[in-house]
Amino acid sequence: MNHRRSTVIAISALLAATFAPVVTSTSAFAAPLPAFAAAEPNQVTDLTVSQADGFATVAWTPVPGAADYQIERTAVDAANAPTGTPTVVGVWRPNRQINNETPTFADAGFNPGTRFQWRVRARIGTAEQPYSSPVFDTTKAPWGDPAVAGQNLRTQWETTQAAQYTSDANEYAYTAAVDQLSERVRVVEIGRTVQNRPINMLVIGYPTPPATPAAVAATSPLAVNCNVHGNEPGDREACLIMARQLAFSNDARTLGLLKNTTVLIVPTINGDGRAANTRGNTTGQDLNRDYSLIRQPETAAYVRMLRDYRPVAGYDGHEYGNNQAGDLPMLPPRHQNVAQQIFDESLDMIENHMYVEGAKDGWWACPYGCANGSGVGLSEETILRNTLGLKNTVNSLLELRSSGGATRPDEGNTANNRRRKTFSALWTFNQFMDYHHNQLSDIKKARGEAIEFQAGNNGRIVFRGSRVVPLHPAPHPGEAGPREDLPTPDMILDNAPCAYKLTEAQYNGARTDGPNDVGATVAERIAAHGWKVVKVADGYVVPLAQPERGLIPLLLDEQGEEEWVSGERVYPTLTGRHNGPLTISGFACLSGATVNGPVNLRPGATLVATNTTISGPVNAANAAGVFFGDSSVRGPLQVANTNGPVTVIGTNVSGPVNLVNNTNGAAPYFAGNSVSGPLNCAGNSTAPTNLEVRNVVNGPRAGQCSTL
Amino acid sequence: MRTRLLAVVMVAALAVAGCTSDEEPSTAAVSGPLCGELPKGDEPGNPTALASESVDQALQWITVLTTFEGALRASELVPELEGKKAITVLAPSDDAFMAKFSQDNLDELMIKDKDALRTLLRAHIVDRSLSLADLRDADSVTTLDGTTVKVSEADKMARIGDEATTVCADYRIANGRVHVINHVLGNFPTTAGQGDSGH
Ligand SMILES: [Zn+2]
Repeated sequence: MNHRRSTVIAISALLAATFAPVVTSTSAFAAPLPAFAAAEPNQVTDLTVSQADGFATVAWTPVPGAADYQIERTAVDAANAPTGTPTVVGVWRPNRQINNETPTFADAGFNPGTRFQWRVRARIGTAEQPYSSPVFDTTKAPWGDPAVAGQNLRTQWETTQAAQYTSDANEYAYTAAVDQLSERVRVVEIGRTVQNRPINMLVIGYPTPPATPAAVAATSPLAVNCNVHGNEPGDREACLIMARQLAFSNDARTLGLLKNTTVLIVPTINGDGRAANTRGNTTGQDLNRDYSLIRQPETAAYVRMLRDYRPVAGYDGHEYGNNQAGDLPMLPPRHQNVAQQIFDESLDMIENHMYVEGAKDGWWACPYGCANGSGVGLSEETILRNTLGLKNTVNSLLELRSSGGATRPDEGNTANNRRRKTFSALWTFNQFMDYHHNQLSDIKKARGEAIEFQAGNNGRIVFRGSRVVPLHPAPHPGEAGPREDLPTPDMILDNAPCAYKLTEAQYNGARTDGPNDVGATVAERIAAHGWKVVKVADGYVVPLAQPERGLIPLLLDEQGEEEWVSGERVYPTLTGRHNGPLTISGFACLSGATVNGPVNLRPGATLVATNTTISGPVNAANAAGVFFGDSSVRGPLQVANTNGPVTVIGTNVSGPVNLVNNTNGAAPYFAGNSVSGPLNCAGNSTAPTNLEVRNVVNGPRAGQCSTL
Repeated sequence: MRTRLLAVVMVAALAVAGCTSDEEPSTAAVSGPLCGELPKGDEPGNPTALASESVDQALQWITVLTTFEGALRASELVPELEGKKAITVLAPSDDAFMAKFSQDNLDELMIKDKDALRTLLRAHIVDRSLSLADLRDADSVTTLDGTTVKVSEADKMARIGDEATTVCADYRIANGRVHVINHVLGNFPTTAGQGDSGH
């Protein structure tokens, strides 16, 4: 946003015109040459080539009996005379796409804007058949008109023709220039690395991004994490190009996307590792094994961002050196504590969108994992894919295959290999935005149900163990999916506690598990995750009746594989029927209980109620904490002057709801409830939030809850 | 702000190295099967443009040397190498590093075990300038770690030790030559394929 910056930036150094030759597309050449002779037997026909950002989709009519096809590309001049050697740049075979009737191949790995001839031939068995007639076309120049301000910005990677990756300094200059020249973009610093590099995030909306994180959250944003492993920089370059497109493109699709949501792009969460070209951060910690633990400042910054901006969907970019995989291995959050709805919707995004669109555009999206029972893609909650799932965010891992493979040449780490990876990432992230745009109501429904499920503290706890990702029906696009990875018995807790209680030392004690043997306290990490905690006389209680119920035990239970502390399991105090009035002092946990009568909380008391029915009014005045999940209250619900957290999720209230003067610093949650009666909120120190999960209210909504 | 100042400087430096300029009259010829895939002609980072660059700058333009380049920076050996009258850098490609070391092992070397990293890198540097022809003519070279390595002809390339071959040879730099090779030299155990290097 241009009013925010006055610093002079060396924008001229970022301009396309400085380095890049201007190549104009000569679309007159795009049509196939007329075939003067009838097709030979088994000759590929109907060859078409269509241009997109950094790749060309080659398509043809299948030849009966063909085992596979070779795609040949030759550099040509403006008169279509060859200037380079004809090269087979790819092999199409049936498992590349879910739809074999219309084969397509995304040819990438060339300098955008150059001109080529393409031909395709079938192989029957191993016997090569005649090549198709050639198609000549000029590939699409790097996005952005060199004569239009903003559009003409280019990254270091682009200006060096992929010989160099964009440096930290060039990233900061480029994103600052995008910010300065576009009203749609705000660059915010979400934290600093160990070496004090800024970690920036582009917040992109139309006509301007919403002003605050909460206002962004209200637009159900989507988030792309571009570069966690410092030596896997391909996705990051795509993110930087995509930021320019979102900032300066005026096409209807882009404006349509940005009018309806906010795009969050974190180009470099691991700036120190990127600068040093190491996988880990500067302490050697693999940050994608730290998103739950948040021992490092980089992961803590990302998790705080998730807490504040609440993206409903995400992608996490990587590269993958494995010559058995497809172009674009993907994987949903599989940890068994992830709500089924989030797993299902994530898999839907991968299989019913990415596989389908990949088959149209020629990219081989496929399951992550590999032949021979690979040990990757498992259930560590420390991995962002799983952390996001446990935070009820629909998401996927993305790998860009860096090696050669069965259907692409081995390019080493050359410029063309870098281009193939980056433009395949750009394709994926654009598809991700389209999926979010088209399926937002499904994503929100899945997220809402997941939050209600989790807040109800439903089901067993699994510390490690994955949901099975079934192989896609043949011709499935990968030979093998990820390993089954079911939980072992020692990783299961059937009888879930109601809460964990931490001692003062556990909660506020100094820790040594961060950089230079200094770690944030558990209290600070819990706050970064955004969990609700009740201060009680002898410690701190973290109830499971909250949206991140799947994640909490993994960090607070001694049975966890990588926990912070061994918190005390606190079990329910009432699970059966109680007739008559119930007065609560101290801590009460009602789980699957039925109370026939009113419930009153004494000052300083805490109530956690899940899967519980209360026939009568509930009145909490001056309580320490109030948690309702997946419950029913047949009568009015009054919560006033609570000096601690208030959360009411997935609960039916037959009567009015009144949330007033609750003074705990964080916003009360009031989400996914059904209220027959008025909903009134007033005087709470922070306005209640519905976490973008609407309540059904048969009555007026007033005060701080007027939009919930 | 420190970062923004840096940005201007960096971008300017980039422009100098990126432009294949008229000031560089001679064409530096490189040879080897991989050369065609590396910056060439008038592309940024072409061999002629690198001929007057220091070793650390030149390595930043040879796309298949990102691991070696990062390792050299991490080793803090650059001033020592720039101070030498002449050097030959036998630089293993990224693929060669990937075939040799696990990700964890590489991070360990680059972040925590810099003495070992320096030993590793010294096994890839000779303190005189040797062209491809010189390597093909020689019987052995002694690297900075004190090891004597056999060298010989291998088709049009040079064999270095038992396994490595030059794949793009004869990059000129300000004080010597860089040859891209396809295997890691030295006596380090192979750790590729071990440990958790998934996403
Ligand atoms: Zn990765």
